[in-house]
Amino acid sequence: MKKVSYLRAASVFLFSVALLFGCSSGNSGTGGTTGGTSAPQAANPGETPAKQKEQLVVAVNENFITMDPQNTGDALSSGVQTSMFEGLLIYDKDLKLIPGLSTEYSVNEDATEYTFKLRQNVKFHDGTPFNAQAVKINFDRMSNQENNLRAYRNYKYIKSTDVVDEYTVKVTLNQPFSAMINKFTTGIISPQALEKYGKDIAKNPVGTGPYKFVEWVQGDHLTVELNQDHWDKGAAKVQKIIYKPVPENGSRVAMLKTGEADVIYPLPEQQVETLNGADGVKVERTPSTITRYVSINMLKKPFDDPRVRQAINYAVDKDAFIKVVKAGYGAKLESVMSPTIAHYAKQGVYEYNIEKAKELLKEAGYENGFTTDIWGNTNSDTMKGMQFIQQQLQKVGITVEVKSMEEATLSDEIYGIKSPEEAKMNMWYVSWSSADPDNAMRSLFSSENFPPAGANTAFYKNDLVDKSIKEATQSSDQTKQKELYGVVQEHVFKEAPWIFLAVDEILYGKRSNVEGVYITPSGGIYVREAEFK
Amino acid sequence: MEAVKEVSHSSQVSMEKKSSRMSEFWIKWKKQKTAFWAGFFILFLLFIAIFGPLIAPYDPYEPDYDAILQTPSSKHWAGTDEYGRDILSRIIVGTGISLSVSFTSVLVGAVIGTILGLCSGYYGGWMDRLIMRSSDVMFAFPDLLLAIAIVAILGPGLANVVVAVAVFSIPSFARLIRGNTLAAKEAVFVEAARSMGAKSSRIIFRHIFPETVSSMIVFFSLRIGTSILAASSLSFLGLGAKPESPDWGAMLSMGRDYLATSPHVVMIPGLAIFLSVLAFNLVGDGLRDILDPKTKN
Repeated sequence: MKKVSYLRAASVFLFSVALLFGCSSGNSGTGGTTGGTSAPQAANPGETPAKQKEQLVVAVNENFITMDPQNTGDALSSGVQTSMFEGLLIYDKDLKLIPGLSTEYSVNEDATEYTFKLRQNVKFHDGTPFNAQAVKINFDRMSNQENNLRAYRNYKYIKSTDVVDEYTVKVTLNQPFSAMINKFTTGIISPQALEKYGKDIAKNPVGTGPYKFVEWVQGDHLTVELNQDHWDKGAAKVQKIIYKPVPENGSRVAMLKTGEADVIYPLPEQQVETLNGADGVKVERTPSTITRYVSINMLKKPFDDPRVRQAINYAVDKDAFIKVVKAGYGAKLESVMSPTIAHYAKQGVYEYNIEKAKELLKEAGYENGFTTDIWGNTNSDTMKGMQFIQQQLQKVGITVEVKSMEEATLSDEIYGIKSPEEAKMNMWYVSWSSADPDNAMRSLFSSENFPPAGANTAFYKNDLVDKSIKEATQSSDQTKQKELYGVVQEHVFKEAPWIFLAVDEILYGKRSNVEGVYITPSGGIYVREAEFK
Repeated sequence: MEAVKEVSHSSQVSMEKKSSRMSEFWIKWKKQKTAFWAGFFILFLLFIAIFGPLIAPYDPYEPDYDAILQTPSSKHWAGTDEYGRDILSRIIVGTGISLSVSFTSVLVGAVIGTILGLCSGYYGGWMDRLIMRSSDVMFAFPDLLLAIAIVAILGPGLANVVVAVAVFSIPSFARLIRGNTLAAKEAVFVEAARSMGAKSSRIIFRHIFPETVSSMIVFFSLRIGTSILAASSLSFLGLGAKPESPDWGAMLSMGRDYLATSPHVVMIPGLAIFLSVLAFNLVGDGLRDILDPKTKN
C-alpha cells in the first residue's frame, strides 16, 4: 500500500506542477476561450532556427488586431505592418522621416498643398504597379468618413488628391494642418487588393514593403517572407520573419534564451539583470515616446470633480511605481507626453502627499472615500500596475476593484460605445505611444475625439485646449506651435484627466547574431535591415 | 415496563456497537502511518484556516515598497513578494480561502451527487438512464476545462469557482453512490424493509444511504485534494480569486514573472498547494484501506 501512496504523491506533484506551471506558457488571460494556451510551444519541431538562420522569430506580448495600416490603433499591429507596408514617407529606427514611396516632396507656404514625386518602378506584392492613381485611391479611402477608418482622424483634412502625372501626386488640404507630414507615413495598400478583399483586407495585407505576407494564424503567429522585388533590395537579408504573440513574460524570455525566438519585445524589466550578458543574448534599451497613465472618466461621478482627480494623483507615489512595477526602468511622467516629442513642456509632478490628497477629497465631499474600478488588459505588467494603483488609493480610502480583460474585449468596451454617456469605464490603466505632438495631444484631449470617434477616453473637454490644439494644427510657425502646445500641456496637467505615471523605457532582447532589427521609440518593430551575422 | 427496558437495552447495544466500531477504526487508523500523519497535517491546516488572521505576523494586504522581493529572513520567514508583502502571512490567511473553497464545493457536489446517485440506483429505469447519461456527457469533458467553461459563463470570482468545481464533482459522486446503491438494494435487510411496507424514501435514506457513507467519505477526502488544485488553477488563470487576494493560486500567478529572479515568491505557495493536496490524498488512501470492504483482509 505504501508503494501506491508514494506513487500517488509523485503523480500529484507532477500533476500540480504540470497544471500550474504548464499553463504559464500560455495565455494567462481571462478569456479562457482565446485558445492561446498552446501557442508559444507551437514552433514546428522541424524548424531549427539555430542552424538554417533563414528565419527570424520575433516574440511580442500581445495579439495583433488588424493588418489594415489605415485602420490600426495599437502600436503592435502597426509595428508588424511596417515590414509589409510603406507610406510616401517612412520613419527610420529613430523616428526620423525618410523618403519611402516618394523620392521628394514640396509644400506651399501655408502648408495646404503637398506635391509628391513618387518612386518609380515599384510594384505591390500582388504585381500591381505603384503610381499616382494608387496613391489617390488610398488617400480617398482614408479621407472618406463613410469608410470609418482610424486614419480618417488625420486624413479628414485632405480636400482632394489629384493625379498630376503617372508619378506625381498633389494633395490639397482644406485647412493648414501642421502635423500632416507625419501622417503621410500611413501605409499604402494595393488598389487591386482593396477591390478584391473589401472588408477582409485587414486579414490579407498587400503592400510594397520589404516583406510580403504569407499567413496569419490568429493567436499563434504571423509570417512574412522577403520581397525579392523590393525597390530597396538587399537592405533586408533575412528570408522569413515570424511574429508570435507570447503574452507570458517567462515564456518569452525562455524562448530568447533557448534561441526559439531571435528578438523579444518587451523584455520583462525584472529580468534585465539576469539576462544581460547571458549566453548569446543582448539586452537593448531605448528611450521611448510611450507614456503610461490611468485615464479617468471625467463624465462620471465622482471623477467630474477636479479635486478628486488631483487627490488621486497626489495619492500615487510615482517613484514607488517605477521601482515596483517597472523594476526601476523608466522616468516620471512630467507632462502629458514623453520629453522626446517636439514641443514638450515640463509641468512637474504631483508629489506624493497623502495628507494633501485626503484634504482635497474632504473638500470635494468624499472624506470617507468611495468605491470604483480600474480596467486593464491581461498582461502581467498591467495586472501589477493596476494592483499598485489599488494599494495606493486604498490609503486615502478609495476602494478600487481590479478588472482585467482580454485586449479585444477591452477595446470593444471602451471604443465600441455609441455615445460618451454610455461609457462604463471609470479608470483605465493604459499607455499611449506617439511620434508627434499632434498625435500626443489632439488624439487624447481634443473634445472631437471622444470615443467612439477617437481616443479621448477621459472625455476631457476644455474650450481653450480645443482652441489651442486647433490653432496649433493650422499653424506652420514652430514658435507659435510650441506656445500653443505649451498651453495645452499646462491646462491638461492641472486638470488631471489622468493619473500621470511614467514614461517607459523600451527594453528588448535579441540573440547576439541578429543585426538590423530595432524597436523604435514608439514601440514599432523595425526590420528593414534585418540580417543574421 | 418490559417494553421500556427493551428499548433502553437496544439503544445501549447500538451505543456499544458504535463505540466499538470507532475504536476498531482508531486501531486500524493508527496502523496507517502515512495517512495518520497526513491527518495531523490536515488538522493543522484546519487550525490555521480558522485562526489564520489572528496568528499571521503581518497584514497580508499591506505593501512595503522598501522591502520588495526579499528572500526568507528572520523578519520575514518566507520572504516578501513583489509589493513587499509578507508571504508567510499571505499563505496563512490563504489557507482559509483555499480550504473553504474546496470544502464547500466538494460538499455541494457530494450532497447533490449522492441524492442523484441514490435515486438513480434505487429507481432505475428512465431516471437512471437520464442521470447516468448526463453524467457521461459531463465526464466527456476534462474536469478543469468544464470548470473554465462554467466560470467563463458565470464570470470570474471565488463564488463561481465553488459552483464550477461543485458541478464537476457531481457526476463522480453520483456514479459512485449509484454503484453502492445497486449493491445495497439487493441486500436482505432492504428486502425485509420493503416487505414490511416501508416507503421508498425511508428505504433510501435509512437503509441504503448508510451503506454508501464509507465509500463516500473516502472519495470526499480524495476529492478535496483535486478541488484545491482546481480552484488554485482557476485562480492562477485569473478566473478565481481577485489578483490581490492571498489565494495560493493567485499568488502563484502574480509571482510567476519572478520565477527566474526570486523563486521563493512562487515556490512557497506552490509548496503549500502541493503539501495540502498530498495530505488529503494520503488521508483518502488510508481511509480507503480501512473502510473499503474490498480491501478488508
